[in-house]
Amino acid sequence: MITARTVIRAVVALAVTAAGLAALAAASAVRLPWHGANTAALRLSWSAHPERIEVCRALSKAEVEARNEHMRQRVECDGKAATYALRVRVDGALLGDEVVQGGGLRHDRPMHLLQSYAVSPGVRRIQLEFSRRERASDDSLRGAAAVPDADTGIFAGRAAREASERGRLTRAAVPPRLTLDTAITFAPQQVVLVTFDPDGRRLVLRVDTASRRVP
Amino acid sequence: MTTRRLRLARPTLAALDAVANRVYGWRWNPIYQSGTVAVVTLLVLLATGLYLLLVYRLGAPFASVERITQDLWLGRWLRSLHRYASDAFVIAAVVHAWRMLAQRRSWGPRTLAWVSGGVVLAAGLVEAWTGFVMVWDAFAERLAREGARLFDALPIFSEPLSRIFAGEVAVPSAFFFVNLFVHIGLPLGLGVGLWLHVSRLARPTLLPPRTLSWAVVAALTVAAIVWPAPLADAADPLRLAVATPINLATAWWLPWSEQLPPLTVFALATVVALAFLLVPSLTARARTGMLAPSVVDPRLCTGCNQCPQDCPWEAITMVARTDDRPTLVALVDPALCVSCGICAGSCAPMGVGPVGSSGRDQLDAIRLSTVPALRVSSDAPIPSNVVFCCAEAPASHREALRARGALVREVRCAGNLHSSAVELALRGGAPGVMVFACPPRDCAGREGPKWLGERLFNEREAELQPRVDRRRVRVGTMAGGDLRGTLQAFDDFARDVATLAPLPVSGDQDVTQDCVTSADAGGRE
Repeated sequence: MITARTVIRAVVALAVTAAGLAALAAASAVRLPWHGANTAALRLSWSAHPERIEVCRALSKAEVEARNEHMRQRVECDGKAATYALRVRVDGALLGDEVVQGGGLRHDRPMHLLQSYAVSPGVRRIQLEFSRRERASDDSLRGAAAVPDADTGIFAGRAAREASERGRLTRAAVPPRLTLDTAITFAPQQVVLVTFDPDGRRLVLRVDTASRRVP
Repeated sequence: MTTRRLRLARPTLAALDAVANRVYGWRWNPIYQSGTVAVVTLLVLLATGLYLLLVYRLGAPFASVERITQDLWLGRWLRSLHRYASDAFVIAAVVHAWRMLAQRRSWGPRTLAWVSGGVVLAAGLVEAWTGFVMVWDAFAERLAREGARLFDALPIFSEPLSRIFAGEVAVPSAFFFVNLFVHIGLPLGLGVGLWLHVSRLARPTLLPPRTLSWAVVAALTVAAIVWPAPLADAADPLRLAVATPINLATAWWLPWSEQLPPLTVFALATVVALAFLLVPSLTARARTGMLAPSVVDPRLCTGCNQCPQDCPWEAITMVARTDDRPTLVALVDPALCVSCGICAGSCAPMGVGPVGSSGRDQLDAIRLSTVPALRVSSDAPIPSNVVFCCAEAPASHREALRARGALVREVRCAGNLHSSAVELALRGGAPGVMVFACPPRDCAGREGPKWLGERLFNEREAELQPRVDRRRVRVGTMAGGDLRGTLQAFDDFARDVATLAPLPVSGDQDVTQDCVTSADAGGRE
């Protein structure tokens, strides 16, 4: 039997349900602040192989022959991966000064860089230097090139292959020194990205369409 | 400290229940049904998610969701329904957990349910986060960036995950594939979690009454149509969004987390998780008095196999006897028994039940206190009816019934009440006996009201004897906040009983006589 009390209760139930659903919908997308209204950012992001600093030595014929045939490597190298110093200046102020090294326990894996610096909008001069910390001669990076004997027998063509492989590793590694010195206009909320171009072997700027380079 | 807080939680829950009962009535009180409502929302998520999966594109996540949102006839409200159902799931699961905690149903035999429930809730949150990331709008980017920042603090990945969102290249499809994989794969684990959650229950109730189920679906659908979930701007790694929409139900933690170092966030999350896992230990109580597990008197057990059938927790098994009787004997596993006492009501010979609450204990209590009170009351112009109610029943209702002249007696659960206790009260001089049970979905013993009704009116073992006049026995529901309903039910019953001819008082007869005789004979079956 439908009574006035039943009707009132139904109306109240509907109203409470509607209010609850409205609260659910409102709480589903509450707008909350994330970044400041008048900020911009300089972001550094790249991955690259560190250089390999090695001391290489050509083995003597007696040393080679003392080893099992399948282990006869004529040039042996020992060394470590290079580490790098990163310095970031914006309008002359030092924002970042840190050491970057390769990944892995022995730090010989690729290094991955991701840094972000808050910058006020406007025209800013950016100076960036990424340089190897270790001093090393070209020989220590390339390894010993002298091979006492000609490539014959099982060594035929091996010296060339080893040289090619060392060259590939050198080209794959980041250059010993990278710099960027430029002025750029940071629009509010804009992120300016600096990354490493492995083909051009240099640092490049990447910005969205709202930004422009200052000539 | 924990105990004191729990003492506060219980009246708070009772007050909330009372409000919900006033608004919706105890039959449709969604707070009673929070666990099953969560399951309904999961089904809604599954149904709507299947459609969204068909039209979602890994290669163009935002564009595909934008296209779904622009589809006014189907896509927009289905996506909104999917989102609101996920919010509702989290809210319902949290309310359910809080309910269990406040009612101290989170320890002992319920530990597995508590822990697995927490795992299901956590899985639901991960589901929600991965679902939001799929959209790849500004909120998705914010969530993904924070997740990557936290993961990068752990020595798991050789390359920082955050570089995915640096803006060097477009976010790879592989990222969205992994995200989608987790979003689709996790429900399988969620299903396992749910199975574990109810694995110790006999006849688990997974869904609310059909009307309430459809009401939940309809309400969420209406919300989805009236207030469609907004779509934020597309994620842009090279723009710093000033603000983003945030889903409070699932990502309320995000603004705080962003301000804290990752290890602090992990430490806080670990503390919360440990606190949750320790709840069963922190809330455990000594299993004495009302919390003592049931015991079996093998001399009385006839091996009828009724108590294992009625036990809502599958805590009783039938095992071989050690004496020379040819029947099996019931064995209670104290590790599974929650001391609801329902087995006591199921045992005709009164051979099982918690110490102090077995059928024989109930008869003793009636002989000692109720029958003498009835004798006094029989001289009054209007003799007192006897009311049995659950020990969990609201105190205000019990007091109001006493004020109306009823002799109120408590049992640990309505399902604990033995039918012989009802008969003895009538034989002792009560014109009528009314049993007030808790609302069926609020019964701490899970199935007390169901078994009570079956035993009193449908001849379920241990049934109320045919010689008892059923017009003098009634079952009602006592729900917090519905005092009017309780009193109305009692008044109706008292009025109906008053029209009946007075019962001859047959004195303190031994209503257990039949049972004991049959037990001695080797069983009732």
